Amino acid sequence: MTDFDDKLLDILSKALLIEREEIKDDLKRKDFEPWDSMAHLVIVSEIENEFEIFFEDEEVVDIWSVEDIKNLLKQKLAS
Amino acid sequence: MKKILESARTDPSYLNLWSAYKKIQALGLAAPDDDPNTLRLAVIGSTTLEPLAACLDVKTRLEGFFVETFVGGFNTYRQEVLDKSSDLYKAKQDVIVLSIDAASILDKMFLSNFARMSDKERQDVQKELVENILSVVSNLESGTSALILVNNFVVPVFTPLGVVDNKQKIGFKRFFEGANTKLAEKLEKNSRVFLVDLDSAASAFGKSRIINWNTWYRGSVPFSEDFTPILADEYLRYIRALKGRAKKCIVLDLDNTLWGGIIGEDGIEGIKLGNTAPGIEYVEFQRNLLSLYNRGVILAICSKNNPDDALKVFREHPSQVLKEEHFAAMKINWQNKAANIAELAKEINIGLDSMVFFDDNPVERAQVSQVHPEVLVVEMPKNPRLYREMIENLNIFDVLSLTSEDMTRGEMYVGKRKRTELEQSATSIEDFLRTLDLKVRIDEVNDFDTPRVVQLIGKTNQFNLTTRRYTDAEVNDFRKSKERVVYSMAVHDKFGDEGVVGVAIVRKNGNDWWIDSFLMSCRVIGRSIETAFLAKIVKDARKANVARIIGEYIPTKKNTPASDLYERHGFGMPATMDDVTSWILNLDEQTIDVPEWIELTEAKQ
Repeated sequence: MTDFDDKLLDILSKALLIEREEIKDDLKRKDFEPWDSMAHLVIVSEIENEFEIFFEDEEVVDIWSVEDIKNLLKQKLAS
Repeated sequence: MKKILESARTDPSYLNLWSAYKKIQALGLAAPDDDPNTLRLAVIGSTTLEPLAACLDVKTRLEGFFVETFVGGFNTYRQEVLDKSSDLYKAKQDVIVLSIDAASILDKMFLSNFARMSDKERQDVQKELVENILSVVSNLESGTSALILVNNFVVPVFTPLGVVDNKQKIGFKRFFEGANTKLAEKLEKNSRVFLVDLDSAASAFGKSRIINWNTWYRGSVPFSEDFTPILADEYLRYIRALKGRAKKCIVLDLDNTLWGGIIGEDGIEGIKLGNTAPGIEYVEFQRNLLSLYNRGVILAICSKNNPDDALKVFREHPSQVLKEEHFAAMKINWQNKAANIAELAKEINIGLDSMVFFDDNPVERAQVSQVHPEVLVVEMPKNPRLYREMIENLNIFDVLSLTSEDMTRGEMYVGKRKRTELEQSATSIEDFLRTLDLKVRIDEVNDFDTPRVVQLIGKTNQFNLTTRRYTDAEVNDFRKSKERVVYSMAVHDKFGDEGVVGVAIVRKNGNDWWIDSFLMSCRVIGRSIETAFLAKIVKDARKANVARIIGEYIPTKKNTPASDLYERHGFGMPATMDDVTSWILNLDEQTIDVPEWIELTEAKQ
């Protein structure tokens, strides 16, 4: 596992209150109750702090799954 | 629960605290009623406060409390406070955090228009701002018995007026400073409402870092991820003080702690201690310790040394700040430190969990914390120049009111030491007590002594029959009630004035008087003063034609010194229900007299 994955899993598992092994790419916001608006806010700000990037408001609303986060983050870190 | 808290304990980062909070909330546990370690907490205010509440909740749990936290809605505090049927009032809150930022009250154009406002306008707006906060506070005060923690305002760093901000009567910064001063003045005499110095906490942390603008604009979260846990610590100080968790005694090592070097090897001229470098850092550390002594923190010594070498520094070194008279007890010998600390606790008569241990040597620290996990063993910095900063950042000695007893506690311990010397020379305990000229004043508590009574109720652990922790508001209700009597007891002897050291609360119930609370500072245990106190209650009860006095006892881990009080004084027929054992004294058959070596005075008849 890369350092990148490790850090991201740490944030997601703590904010969404699930074990790291249970976090799959297709985990969706609307299907998963603990992923409420406050958890979303925590995930976004922790990722911003950890990877020293920031998300546009439109990007934040457009995150619907773990996969979305990974894609967005890769794109941000590449640019 | 232990598992959930573990990660927050090892790394109390915002994410870990938040995660622990959410996990605990999901368990839906209710805190036990009537447990002294239960804390009902409400956090309300003008912004998104769940993050602050989460940190405070978990940090309070880490101190061993059961917490039930209510978090108010976003900027709905006014409705919550005014509507007595709101969720805020559903539980009997112990602590209410009211977190309001100035921007939520001020006009949206306040910053923009400030430069063109007249002094009079600025003054009026400032007054309105302060009154706004105070009116919410006073509603909370009348609607609850909670301790209310309201923050002051963060004085902004930016001002539209630039460098000449303070050339104006009320510049932008002075506008907020002035509001803070007014809040402090208005709340100065209030024993239930405390002004939390958010501005100072923000300055210490760095005002530019207290807000994360991303979360502020996205979700109105008022404080950054890094600052929120630090601010929670600031609130925690009040909770600890309220719940009697303040540390009372600092146990100090000598070599490389109070002075640099080793007295046994370097000699009195060789140790580092002086008003210039090297050694000034130790002098300043000692000055700091003396400042704590002067407000009631007890000092003691625990050092591996030859007593003669060490005492020579106290007696002869010109730069030594702390003198022998400042120490309640000293253990200077070659015994292991854990054993010494146990003896110090016994000699000073305080619990190990009230003690803090300072030692530069990590091996000694490890030994003490292994044997006595209750003692707070401070991780001393390796660099002695940081000792002062370390002690200033500890924040573990907080009490909610500083009484005259606190100010003179040090002298009282000198008296105690002299008493011990006298006791050792007296042939019998009664001889000893006779020579003390004990005078005890017992009355219904007056306004002046009430803060001290509340303090004793909050922190007395050992000689405390029921350990019922009543708040200031509750004590004042008792004082007004016809069904209750709150007694205070002050003690004086030939070595000095101990001040108010005892409290009893009587609940009147027809022909029975129930002793709901009975407690004494451990300083005065062993002088039969409790007998005089009971005798006074008996006397008053007889005057009121009461048939029986019923004393209650609730055992705790710490109050065994008080366990046989009622039995010793002729109370009988113990009956236990739940945790409470009640003992009966039948006044037709029995009585309790004031011991002949104690002079009892009563102001009112």
